[in-house]
Amino acid sequence: MSLFQSENLIYYYPDRERPALKDINLRIEEGEFLLVIGGSGSGKSTLARVLAGLIPDFYGGRFGGRVYFQRRDIREIDRRQLAREVGIVFQDPEKQLVMTSVEAEIAFGLENLGLTPAEMSRRVAEVLHFLDLTEVKQEFTAQLSGGQKQKLALAAVLAMQPRVLVCDEPTSQLDPVAAEEFLNLAKRLNEEMGLTIILIEQRLERCFHLADRLVYMDDGQIIYEGTPAQFARWAAPKEIPFIPPVARFFAGTGFSSIPVTVKEGRRLLRSNFNIIQETPGEPVWLKTSGAASGKQRVIKGNPKEPVLSMSKVWFAYPNGKEALQDVSMQIAVGELVAVLGANGAGKSTLLKTMAGLLKLGRGRMLVKGRDPGKNGNRPGDGRIAYLSQNPNDYLFQDTVEEELLFTLNNFGLPDDGVVDELLAKLGLEPCRRVNPRDLSGGERQRVALASILVTRPALLLLDEPTRGMDYRLKDELGALLTALCKEGAGVVLVTHDVEFAAAYATRVLVMAAGRVVADGPKHQVLGESVFYSTQIGKMCRGYVDGVLTLPEALARLTPVQPARQAVSG
Amino acid sequence: MFEQFFYQEKGLFLQSLHPAAALTYLGVLLVLALIFTNPLYLLGLLLVVVLAIIAAQGMATWEVYFRLSLGMMVLVIIINPLVVHAGETIIWWGPRLPVFGPLTVSLEAICYGAAMSVRLLTIISVFCLYNLIIHPDKALSLLARLASRSALVLSLATRMFPAMMRQLENIREVQVMRGVDFNAGTLKERLPKYASLINILLLSSLEDSLEIAEAMQARAFGSGRRTCYRRDTWRPRDSLCLGGSILALVVAFYGQLTGASTFIYYPQLSYLLNSRMTIILLIIMLLALSVPVFMSWGWRRCLYFKARI
Repeated sequence: MSLFQSENLIYYYPDRERPALKDINLRIEEGEFLLVIGGSGSGKSTLARVLAGLIPDFYGGRFGGRVYFQRRDIREIDRRQLAREVGIVFQDPEKQLVMTSVEAEIAFGLENLGLTPAEMSRRVAEVLHFLDLTEVKQEFTAQLSGGQKQKLALAAVLAMQPRVLVCDEPTSQLDPVAAEEFLNLAKRLNEEMGLTIILIEQRLERCFHLADRLVYMDDGQIIYEGTPAQFARWAAPKEIPFIPPVARFFAGTGFSSIPVTVKEGRRLLRSNFNIIQETPGEPVWLKTSGAASGKQRVIKGNPKEPVLSMSKVWFAYPNGKEALQDVSMQIAVGELVAVLGANGAGKSTLLKTMAGLLKLGRGRMLVKGRDPGKNGNRPGDGRIAYLSQNPNDYLFQDTVEEELLFTLNNFGLPDDGVVDELLAKLGLEPCRRVNPRDLSGGERQRVALASILVTRPALLLLDEPTRGMDYRLKDELGALLTALCKEGAGVVLVTHDVEFAAAYATRVLVMAAGRVVADGPKHQVLGESVFYSTQIGKMCRGYVDGVLTLPEALARLTPVQPARQAVSG
Repeated sequence: MFEQFFYQEKGLFLQSLHPAAALTYLGVLLVLALIFTNPLYLLGLLLVVVLAIIAAQGMATWEVYFRLSLGMMVLVIIINPLVVHAGETIIWWGPRLPVFGPLTVSLEAICYGAAMSVRLLTIISVFCLYNLIIHPDKALSLLARLASRSALVLSLATRMFPAMMRQLENIREVQVMRGVDFNAGTLKERLPKYASLINILLLSSLEDSLEIAEAMQARAFGSGRRTCYRRDTWRPRDSLCLGGSILALVVAFYGQLTGASTFIYYPQLSYLLNSRMTIILLIIMLLALSVPVFMSWGWRRCLYFKARI
């Protein structure tokens, strides 16, 4: 008997012409770990909401077909009963916590279920212990870190003792360490407690191997169902990007078996692959660097002139925390610098200091040879553009076009065709007259980006631009930033996404406790680092060094027996 | 930045009180500050509240409250004699003003103003004490038993507030980088800039609120009768605190009804000590109100005492 079973499920959001889900026939077995993947807008989240009983109850819209939970039609199950059986954890921890303190938050769901005080006390205590939250049980939720908040959201759901846990991109707002911890918890719940887990994820490197089964969705439909390994074999030749880099590598070389973890990959690599020797004098990465470029870089403007230079910069917050300590660096024209580091290492502070939003404590900073703090230059005089983590902070005009004109007017600049140019370049031409709040997440970010690029800035600063993005959107962003660099801008981005940094950055900076602990070309920094490395880098480490990305690995390694490809296909 | 105005868990004795006991205590302090006009009684109350604030390690916070109320206190002392002409002991004759009539300052009015400023400080200090010793969730859980929906709205508002302040700062930075200069221009020019800040915050909050509602729905909110999670325990200390508060209240009412604790300002000041009862009642009341302070003191110093209460 299946736990969930859907028959010809079709669903339209209110006032929408296109179905968000169609012809969904899916069975989910008890105790399964199911991974649901697909691009933005593919219907993954909608499916999660159907399984959690939120669609159509909460959203309305048109609903066709049937969904059964334990042989009963999910729409006939009492809401309280369903909430006891199916729990859901959402993307953003900020937007699912209700109470002010940790303990009250966990109890909230139990109160809603109408449990007795004794039962509630027992469950709260158990869950606090299991998720190691006892230390913070008196804390205000506002004081917790992002990872702790998401763990609390999980705790609040687990206290309701569901049989099924639906996770809708639970790690998209977390740093890699917290994300790893969350996913490991999910695995433990599945293995030890027998919970059925339905996980929706974008960052597949971390969770691909955890799943028993996988569903690939596109345009509201289920395109593929199978084990992760089967899917990797099926998807790789079709250039579907939703498989981890290791699997993509093996599929790309035409190798017969497709591993999905670094460990398997390393084993297969050593026994089955030869290293292509480098042509002397020219390291192979120069030929393949920049993924999007390929050809020799053409940079306008004087490449020797730094866009920004910092020397011995210090910054301390009013509470005394020295967030920047003795930071010196130069950002040259055409450089794409990725800043990596743990939470609280000073990455965002560095970015805000560069933007001129924070006043230096000590030291000197020059932007294009001028001191931004002097001569009445105020932050944001148009030469530096800054994209914050949340694109919604930018959007308040009635149309996309007006957002761009707003910035232009503030700086007293004429519209010399820059608006048309940017709208075309960022693919926003069709939504020129649309309210930006009606757009999808990826489009909103592009509008925000366009609204700051209208001044043709010399330096572009981005704070975690790839957060919550799927592979396709990341590639688009990467190509766009690379193009901007070629036109002569400098780009600095703060990120936790090592894969993105490896694919598109030219230089990588690692920060820790307010200091720059590593700075150099990406192959040097990421190649030397054990932890800040890509999946491909981890796989090749110790066997062939200096390989970070898929194209590099394909260029350096070749299977011993390419003929096997034809045999086992 | 505003952290000291919010509750902070320090593991203090006063913070461990049951919310019902602690709220009764604070309520009695507030009521007494409002019914007494006798300067001795008002000063006594202020003393107790300040001692309790010290026991709650909140002197640094109280100083901020004190500085804020100082201006208001001085204002009360100055304005009261100027507008009230009920006193007989005139100590200063001023010019005749068109609306107010002859400007006179009487001793009685100054004394009354001074007593009122002490009352003001006491009331503000009671609120300071509230912030120091009562976890908002505890107060809310008490309220939740009476009015669960209002309590939830309050709780959501308290939870969202710090996040919204942070968000507002982010939006401001973004606007600065887009060329909005918040320091330039006249007030009339600056207002629309701030209005658009609030506008963005509102738009984003509306979008977020839908997600929060969804998360609440997923956790069975509104699916039927709710129960209430309690983790407060009633200890001997709470009975003692409650007993002290009730005793103080009874004594105060007795004093007011018999006139032992009343004080008359106009037209002439009455005697500060009009009977022996005035002193006796004052001492009983202050001792009763100081019970939590004594317990806090003993709790920190005496292990045996700590174990018993």
